[in-house]
Amino acid sequence: MNTPGTLRHLTATDPETGAYRIPKIIYSDAYFSEMVPYADLILPDTTYLERWDCISLLDRPISDPDGAADAIRQPVVEPDRDVRPFQSALLDLGARLSLPGFVTEDGTAKFPGGYPDYIVNHERAPNVGPLAGYRGHDGGAFGKGAPNPDQLNAYIANGCFYRHELAPNQRYYKHVNAGYLNWAKDTGFNGSADPIVFQLYLEPLQKFRLAAAGHGDVLPPESHRQRLLQFFDPVPFWYPPFGDDGTIGDTFPLHAITQRPMAMYHSWGSQNAWLRQIHGDNRLYLNRRTAAAYDIRDDDWVWLSSDIGRVKCQVRLMDGVNPHTVWTWNAIGKRRGAWGLADDAPEAKRGFLLNHLISELLPARDGGYRFSNSDPVTGQAAWYDLRVAIEKADAAEAEETRPRFDPLHRPTSKDLPEAAE
Amino acid sequence: MTSLPQTTNAKLGLVIDLDTCVGCQACATSCKEWNTAGYSAPLSDEDPYGSDPHGTWLNRIHSYEVDDGRAGQTVHFPRSCLHCEEPDCVTVCPTGASYKRAEDGIVLVNPETCIGCKLCSWACPYGAREYDYSDGVMKKCTLCVDRIYNESFEPEDRLPACVRACPTGARHFGDLGDPESDVSKLVADRGGFDLLPEFGYKPVNKYLPPRPRRDNEPPAPGLSQSPIDTVDSSVLDTPRDPLERFFAWADQMLSR
Repeated sequence: MNTPGTLRHLTATDPETGAYRIPKIIYSDAYFSEMVPYADLILPDTTYLERWDCISLLDRPISDPDGAADAIRQPVVEPDRDVRPFQSALLDLGARLSLPGFVTEDGTAKFPGGYPDYIVNHERAPNVGPLAGYRGHDGGAFGKGAPNPDQLNAYIANGCFYRHELAPNQRYYKHVNAGYLNWAKDTGFNGSADPIVFQLYLEPLQKFRLAAAGHGDVLPPESHRQRLLQFFDPVPFWYPPFGDDGTIGDTFPLHAITQRPMAMYHSWGSQNAWLRQIHGDNRLYLNRRTAAAYDIRDDDWVWLSSDIGRVKCQVRLMDGVNPHTVWTWNAIGKRRGAWGLADDAPEAKRGFLLNHLISELLPARDGGYRFSNSDPVTGQAAWYDLRVAIEKADAAEAEETRPRFDPLHRPTSKDLPEAAE
Repeated sequence: MTSLPQTTNAKLGLVIDLDTCVGCQACATSCKEWNTAGYSAPLSDEDPYGSDPHGTWLNRIHSYEVDDGRAGQTVHFPRSCLHCEEPDCVTVCPTGASYKRAEDGIVLVNPETCIGCKLCSWACPYGAREYDYSDGVMKKCTLCVDRIYNESFEPEDRLPACVRACPTGARHFGDLGDPESDVSKLVADRGGFDLLPEFGYKPVNKYLPPRPRRDNEPPAPGLSQSPIDTVDSSVLDTPRDPLERFFAWADQMLSR
């Protein structure tokens, strides 16, 4: 979000001393991404073929409604350069700093074997760890069981995953299914076997609202009360996103949204030599009706603007988009010089991001405080609240996307005087 | 120049459901992944990190918006060799490198005898053949002939890589010469069709058409009175991507 503002923060200096305002940036990446040149210290990471990974039940597992499943990755090639898996580097740092959870009682590293050691032996609750399968001393337990030193080998022998299929009577109406709920408690999924009642009228929210109205012993600060009264409604309701005071539609009449191309989920390295043949640049998709209203024709170049910046891009007209919404693919635009791509790569020349238009902060509210432009409950960045204006670009302008930052300097061995010796 | 078998014992092929294909490209990337390590030389990529990256793919997905007079319908269209019953790509081959197998109908290229003359790619009206600039030979879909009979694989993996990878089950593999096979029944049930049947190459692969939309009403007019909602439809521009315009022209000509 707000890429130009972020770059300003990363490079801001104190005018009196000339020193960077952010004194030290330590960063880890497997690639020469846009962030690398702004870091003081880079911890070079492995790619996913070179490290252990854990696709645990805690984060986007491979489960399905009829069974709980998780998976691992195992290294299949030795790194051919001086890199370390970032998870292992973090465990090492944590142990050196004697952080709680990273060291044993006598102060030595708790997971000296790095990340695979952690995957097997970390317990977030007694007998519950990152992987649910093959737990217990004999490897026969699912969900809850003592750490099993042979767990990773058992996963590998099973194709790097484990799936526990639910009994037929556990598969339906799970929130009030005693068979499922008892199993979920036994495996550590849920804290109790109580039915999970969906509350249309949400009493916890009403408690906040009552407090804002002055009831009870614990009361919110005066400056937050109006907000709590308005938004902590126990019954779901819709309201315009924060920042939309009813007048924004005059200045920024269109909604702008993005999604990551499905193909990009096949590899998170979006400079992948195959994927960039599929999605090497991106267009702004615009309803033909909207285009006509602004005298825009197919293939025209346009400027999109929000209250924090402008982006130039090329349009593709279509019918299957709401006339008041424009959209584009995310994750394609790249800065020149980054990701090991040529300076005239289509990603830099004809690719663009909406990030430049999205502020990380909402407009100031009562008392001047600027809240984060994110979902107040989950913290997820509010990408979909973006409002923009559109105008045709001057035909004399170069046919390339903007903003166009200076190319990043690609370091060579000559930039590393000590290593070059 | 190269003869076709009189008959084939089976007609192995794909049935591709245009209703459920979501254009995710999983079939294209898994095809490339399997076949770049397959029996012929790797599927090469030219200028992979440069300004014009392009490479050899045996399966490509093109996404179109079909003007249905309402809100437009997006169709994702996976294209690969159709393993035709009477393919000119084989008969034009001067060396016998292109051939159709009598046992199962699969059309293959022998990379040892292919001289890279590209006659077959000119003969194929479907654009299914891809010349590999690095290897100097023609490449094409093999129906993963090195998977489907491979007894070292689990039975569920003895499928073309694209079929195995499809997350929506939009790709089906089987014997289209057997009217009792699952794929033949699927084609009968869903009105499966041939691509460009008028050319007479008798494609074995079939496509299932998108189902009719359930929302038959035109889109509701916007609630606001913004200029966007009051545009006169007669001034709307149509997409004019050069390739799209070419296909539109070709379609018009061929439909005469």
